[in-house]
Amino acid sequence: MAFMMRINFVDVICDDSLVSTYADGKKNGYSFAIRLSYYRGHFLSDIDRFEVYTDGEKVADRDIQFGLNGKQFTVGQLGQCVSEFWTLLEPAHIFVIRPGGLPVGEHDIKVVLYLRCPYLPLPGSAEGEHKYQPIDGCGEKKLTIA
Amino acid sequence: MSRIKLGATLYCYTSEYATGKFTFEDCVRTAAEAGAEGYEIVATQMIPSYPFVSDEFLGLVNDCKAKYGIAPASYGANNDRGMLPDRDLTEEEMLQRAIIDIQSAHKLGCHLLRAQYLLSPAALEKLAPYAEMYDVKCGIEIHNPEYPTSPVMKEYLAAIKRSGSKYIGFVPDFGCFATKPNKPQWDQALAAGAREEMLELAKQMRTDSVPLQEAQQRMLEKGANDAEMMAFSGMYGFVQFSTHPDLEGLKEILPYSIYCHGKFHYLYENNREASIPYEEILPILKDGGFDSFIMSEFEGHGYADAVLMTKRHQKMMRELLHQEA
Repeated sequence: MAFMMRINFVDVICDDSLVSTYADGKKNGYSFAIRLSYYRGHFLSDIDRFEVYTDGEKVADRDIQFGLNGKQFTVGQLGQCVSEFWTLLEPAHIFVIRPGGLPVGEHDIKVVLYLRCPYLPLPGSAEGEHKYQPIDGCGEKKLTIA
Repeated sequence: MSRIKLGATLYCYTSEYATGKFTFEDCVRTAAEAGAEGYEIVATQMIPSYPFVSDEFLGLVNDCKAKYGIAPASYGANNDRGMLPDRDLTEEEMLQRAIIDIQSAHKLGCHLLRAQYLLSPAALEKLAPYAEMYDVKCGIEIHNPEYPTSPVMKEYLAAIKRSGSKYIGFVPDFGCFATKPNKPQWDQALAAGAREEMLELAKQMRTDSVPLQEAQQRMLEKGANDAEMMAFSGMYGFVQFSTHPDLEGLKEILPYSIYCHGKFHYLYENNREASIPYEEILPILKDGGFDSFIMSEFEGHGYADAVLMTKRHQKMMRELLHQEA
């Protein structure tokens, strides 16, 4: 009877957060902010799946960085972030590398984000099986880049 | 003469806090206005420097104490056994993290700590000397669908008795004594397209103790939709109810209960809870000489007004305990 838990008090994708990023004065990508969709914070190691889709197109993992606590983590690193706590209130900043950046205008930003609820083992699962209630932290929103 | 202390967990204001309507300070002020004599912090929810308590956060807590007269009394810990991507934390690792929780509780001035059942009975027993060192009593939360004399809780009781320590025990959550379906979940299911007769069927099966698998099968055979199955899962899970709640079990574990969670989902205008029989629960605490905190714990976020409901809950407890505000 596993069902996906979804508890979102706020939008996952933060309003008005889409901005261009630059290297040597040239646009080299974009960034936007996301909030955690739950009632408490989580260590980043609780993230089971993290993907970004921009205008329907999946962004390669290597072009995504997850910014939190003044640091930037690669997607492959998230599972090892056992000491990086993402609080309920603090937005994470997602950085995407894209040569030339995003064209000015409206874009569809979608984040696929699933977490484990690390204190809620699935009913009937035994210790050591490492099966926990999944949390749906996904979000999608149209954001405008100036 | 013992006197029960009435507090509130700031978790009551989860929705207001998450949306930015309330700051931490607003939560403390609102709890004080509701009548709370002390409060609980769910560490993973409101401590910005979790799992540690920064001097900055401690300063905020102390400022709030000076302004509103109440301080943190209990520390809601989470025991995140599943925090690694590939394996469960070992019992020893769980114990090590629980010691950090005790230290953080101590820094905040809390003498009470809620732990969760993934911290094993053996680990709880090993935690006792650390709990004593920091003067922080640690209790395993008895949360629906567990109940005071459920098999798991019996293992904890044995460990607590074996330890001989007054510093480890239980935190009963009154939600486990519910006698009726959860009102918010029922009404939200109806709003989401559940049919009343299907909810009545689920309620009847739960009342008649029809086993989970069989009940589930009958729901599906009758063509239950998602909203109906969600409500059904609740009735057999975290908001299950029973016409015979384990109140005798509560009497048995009361001497080992370090404080309680006064769970509530909805209180009517007459200050009575929709599904949890406080008029039966509170006399047991009073007669049993319980003199620690009951922390009001609202869990009807997004359904009813947390500020109003928490006020009503505090009023209800004072009425039933014949205590002045």
